[in-house]
Amino acid sequence: MKHSCKFLHSSIGKKFTVGAAGVLLCLFLVFHLSGNMLLFVGESQFNAFANTLDTNPLIPAAEIILAAIFFAHVVVSLWLRWQNKQARPVGYADYRAKGGRTAGSRTMTWTALLVLAFLIIHVKAFRFGGRDGGMYHLVLSSLSNPYMAGFYLLALAGLALHLSHGVQSAFQTFGLNHPKYMPAVKALGWAFALIICGGFAVIPIWALIKGGL
Amino acid sequence: MNEKKKLNLTLKIWRQKGPGDAGRFVECKAENISPDASFLEMLDVVNEGLVKRGEEAIAFDSDCREGICGMCSLVINGKPHGPELGTATCQLHMRTFQDGDTITVEPFRAKAFPPVKDLVVDRSAFDRIVAAGGFVSVNTGNPQDANSILIGHAVAEKAMDAAACIGCGACVAACPNASAMLFVAAKVSHLALLPQGQPERMRRVAQMRAQMDAEGFGNCSNEYACEAACPKEISVRAIARLNREYLKASLCSEE
Repeated sequence: MKHSCKFLHSSIGKKFTVGAAGVLLCLFLVFHLSGNMLLFVGESQFNAFANTLDTNPLIPAAEIILAAIFFAHVVVSLWLRWQNKQARPVGYADYRAKGGRTAGSRTMTWTALLVLAFLIIHVKAFRFGGRDGGMYHLVLSSLSNPYMAGFYLLALAGLALHLSHGVQSAFQTFGLNHPKYMPAVKALGWAFALIICGGFAVIPIWALIKGGL
Repeated sequence: MNEKKKLNLTLKIWRQKGPGDAGRFVECKAENISPDASFLEMLDVVNEGLVKRGEEAIAFDSDCREGICGMCSLVINGKPHGPELGTATCQLHMRTFQDGDTITVEPFRAKAFPPVKDLVVDRSAFDRIVAAGGFVSVNTGNPQDANSILIGHAVAEKAMDAAACIGCGACVAACPNASAMLFVAAKVSHLALLPQGQPERMRRVAQMRAQMDAEGFGNCSNEYACEAACPKEISVRAIARLNREYLKASLCSEE
């Protein structure tokens, strides 16, 4: 116990926690998107799927685990970020260090905040909101609102940028960096970000079109 | 031989009387500078002028002036060791700049590198990290036969790439988080790759990591600004090795 605490408290251990939680959240995204794709199979199938989740007694437990993973990812990241701020009390007048800094890596905190704001709205509407008329109807009625759909698309763009750095960064943190495979890992990070976020983005666009934009 | 055109430059340079002083930028002229001079030689010329006028010379660190000691520092126009890749400040030539340029010169900035004076910062945090485990313990006595421990060429090259670290601290200066991971990674890698480093391998990485955190360096966010600034071009793959080594030591060490 003492040893694992020491590891988790260390700079490397904290990064490991963020990376591991990030990978689990990525897996959740895959399951979430797979479920959402039932929207395009049919109203009754999607509603039945939503109903199965709603009535499954194991789901609340799974939700608590998911919330804990998300909480660990956010809290430990903020802790690291706070320490990073402390590590340079006087900043540079001129700072042009580049290296592997990308749009994704520079904006990690901002895209994280955007996704967090999105999640609050999203969970409130779809997890704790009323489901009269079925989940399919709720998706269509919420996302056919152009402001809501626009916000969803913006948040997904933010998530894509976040993943473009996050996925390949997790590999480096786990110590997996090899000259043969790293270019492929970086491409995989982008591919995952675009496939997942592109997949989710289809839904608000579809709702807008179906809602008679 | 043709006389090369001399450079006249404006320096926007950080002056700070001591650790307690807030510090500020001061503009001064660097006139009649040979394009063949190194950046440090240019500062020597400026200092000569200052001393002649009865003003205090600009304090900066330097020692070997041939890129192998790690003593020179400076953030020049926003980049540690200046704009050239794979060179220390002492190897940066003034021909890199144009006549009439304004050059911003700042010290390496990090909480773990407290300011001493002007452009000089205290980098002894690195010494304490090395003292915590960046060594091998060997018995004294007669030197052993040169080829008694065989090391494959590829491994020797990899260890040598890491051992090229001169401990200048440019990685910390360049890192958006003032993290020392590339330095510690280079020191851990170079010994972890060699047979001589095996007996203390796990203890070394655990203790160096602990000292690194205790010094108040930031955490790595995998942005690789360190690699781009390193005068010895040490790869961030060393950081991946450090992560692996530390994970392994945390899981397997019995200490």
